Amino acid sequence: MPESPVRSPSTRVPPVLLAATLALASFLFTSCYILRPGQGGGKIKSEAGRKLDPGDIALPAGYRIEAIATGLTFPTAVTFDDTGALYAVEGGYAYGEEWGVPRLLKVMKNNVFVPIAVGDSNGPWTGVTYVAAKEGGAGKGSFYLTEGGQLRGGRVLRIGMDGNIQALVENLPSLGDHHTNAPVIGPDGMLYFGQGTATNSGVVGTDDYKFGWLARHRTFHDTPCQDITLSGVNYLSKNPFTSGKKKDTVETGAFSPFGSTTIPGQVVKGEVPCNGSIMRISLQGGKPELVAWGLRNPFALAFAPDGRFFALDNGYDQRGSRPIWGAGELLWEIHQGTWYGWPDFSGSKSLAVSEFTPPHGDTPERLLEKAPVPWLPTHASADIVPHPVPSYQDDPPPAPMAVLPVHSSADGLDFSRAPEFGYENQAFVAEFGDMAPGVGKVLEPVGFKISRVDLARGVAEDFAINRKGLGPASKLKAGGLERPVSLRFSPDGKSLYVVDFGVMAVSKHGPKAQKQTGVIWRIWKENGQ
Amino acid sequence: MKTRVRIVLLSCALGSWFFFGCAAGRRSEPLRGSLDVSNPKVAHGQVVFMNQCDKCHPGGDAGLGPSLNNKPLPGFLLGFQARHGMGAMPAFDKEELPQTDLDDVVAYLKALRRNG
Repeated sequence: MPESPVRSPSTRVPPVLLAATLALASFLFTSCYILRPGQGGGKIKSEAGRKLDPGDIALPAGYRIEAIATGLTFPTAVTFDDTGALYAVEGGYAYGEEWGVPRLLKVMKNNVFVPIAVGDSNGPWTGVTYVAAKEGGAGKGSFYLTEGGQLRGGRVLRIGMDGNIQALVENLPSLGDHHTNAPVIGPDGMLYFGQGTATNSGVVGTDDYKFGWLARHRTFHDTPCQDITLSGVNYLSKNPFTSGKKKDTVETGAFSPFGSTTIPGQVVKGEVPCNGSIMRISLQGGKPELVAWGLRNPFALAFAPDGRFFALDNGYDQRGSRPIWGAGELLWEIHQGTWYGWPDFSGSKSLAVSEFTPPHGDTPERLLEKAPVPWLPTHASADIVPHPVPSYQDDPPPAPMAVLPVHSSADGLDFSRAPEFGYENQAFVAEFGDMAPGVGKVLEPVGFKISRVDLARGVAEDFAINRKGLGPASKLKAGGLERPVSLRFSPDGKSLYVVDFGVMAVSKHGPKAQKQTGVIWRIWKENGQ
Repeated sequence: MKTRVRIVLLSCALGSWFFFGCAAGRRSEPLRGSLDVSNPKVAHGQVVFMNQCDKCHPGGDAGLGPSLNNKPLPGFLLGFQARHGMGAMPAFDKEELPQTDLDDVVAYLKALRRNG
């Protein structure tokens, strides 16, 4: 009796099953964070200039957009004077150690820019606001700018229409990762501004050396605003100062210079000015007063039409000695006297959980043994309500008003006020876009758009996006948005002006910004004016 | 015969790849019009999604994590993945994401997929 033919196992598998297996494998692969390559928006081939086509930008029905100024170098902000004339700030510095000259320019028609004031090599100039002359009094009819202070420390500047520059505050702790930002006048007539942290998450590391500043300012580190007690966790890293010795390592603790360790229970004295904070001064200058801290990089501040005070805070990156994964950008309502959780929380969530643990990495340990004690404002503004600071162990910091996409770099904030524009009282946010891979890996480009946030619901929705896909226009071979860095409604509220920083490529070697590619866009609603 | 089977399998795999990996995931207002959130479950799911999910899947699209809008997973699998995690995605327990909230998130994602 002949033996029955033996069939190979593979031919016994039904084709349908094989197809399903392959489909499942494809699904898993396209979903898998680990396997898929990073696709940051800065992954572009550097080409000179940029294409402009407003038609490449999608907006809600009834809205229009146009480019009203082009060819700017690293623009960061705009403001308006008493007559409604438009002014723009060129930063004079871009990450990647790209240096230029900060300038305040009056924006005329046909791409004509009249310089009002020119700074030196202590950029970037990160923001501007104008106090109307018609309000009278000293300091009125002037521009107020924040100078990032990458070389000599941050400053708040007053610039007259004649171009005269006067420093109201100097030596702010801006020599590190983040700068002095976001000047805004409060309803109390005081000038509020943000001060970013020196580091990503409290520990100076080799990422700061790559930024460039650690080589210049070897002992610089974060300064707390109040006395804090450390947990004594230290982090091992390579020593970039002895690069010839491959195995040379150093340990560094929180709120300490690179290479300095800490011990449990160690108290670090707080002082003002300090990092990760919002401070305020009078329009005449003087010693800054602390408003709130525990922020990471409050790059944009704005008062809502109802008088409430808001800050946009850039979230943690996955870099350095204490990398944090999956931390969103936060929109806070700011209450005077509150600590907002940096460096141990993202919003009201502790970092010491899997949600913030990098894949194959360590769960971030707490740096602070206990919470900073609450403090009472010296003279609380009636418009900025003091908030009871919770105890560290029992309650987390307050929850943010909205959580925006990880690495989107939410940098610009203003509120719609006019029915002619629509979306009244909603927050509009400029998302600069990811700087992957330097900040961590993303599967697709994040940001590069304008969002609006319904504060009542904490819901963020797209408002202006590139029609052809995710990412900056240069990556999409299109003429739309590149890197929106700030925005401001016109004095009548009918138009939204968006400052587009320009083309910035990012590779494993760092960012590379392209000069003369900055644009100012204007968005308005048809039949709204 | 074997050649035909191989072609069919390869086509399935490539089709899946394009379907899961490259299908358009963008569903936001500027491209698709505003989302109808008149259903209370969808409206509540949107709020929960914004608080828990949007930071990695902006508008249901890809970002830090993959797009959800172009994955035709049934609702129970979406819920299963949120509850138990997978790969780099963290698991959300019932304390952090109660079952009713999770159900509403799924309702929101389904509405988002249908948008436009």
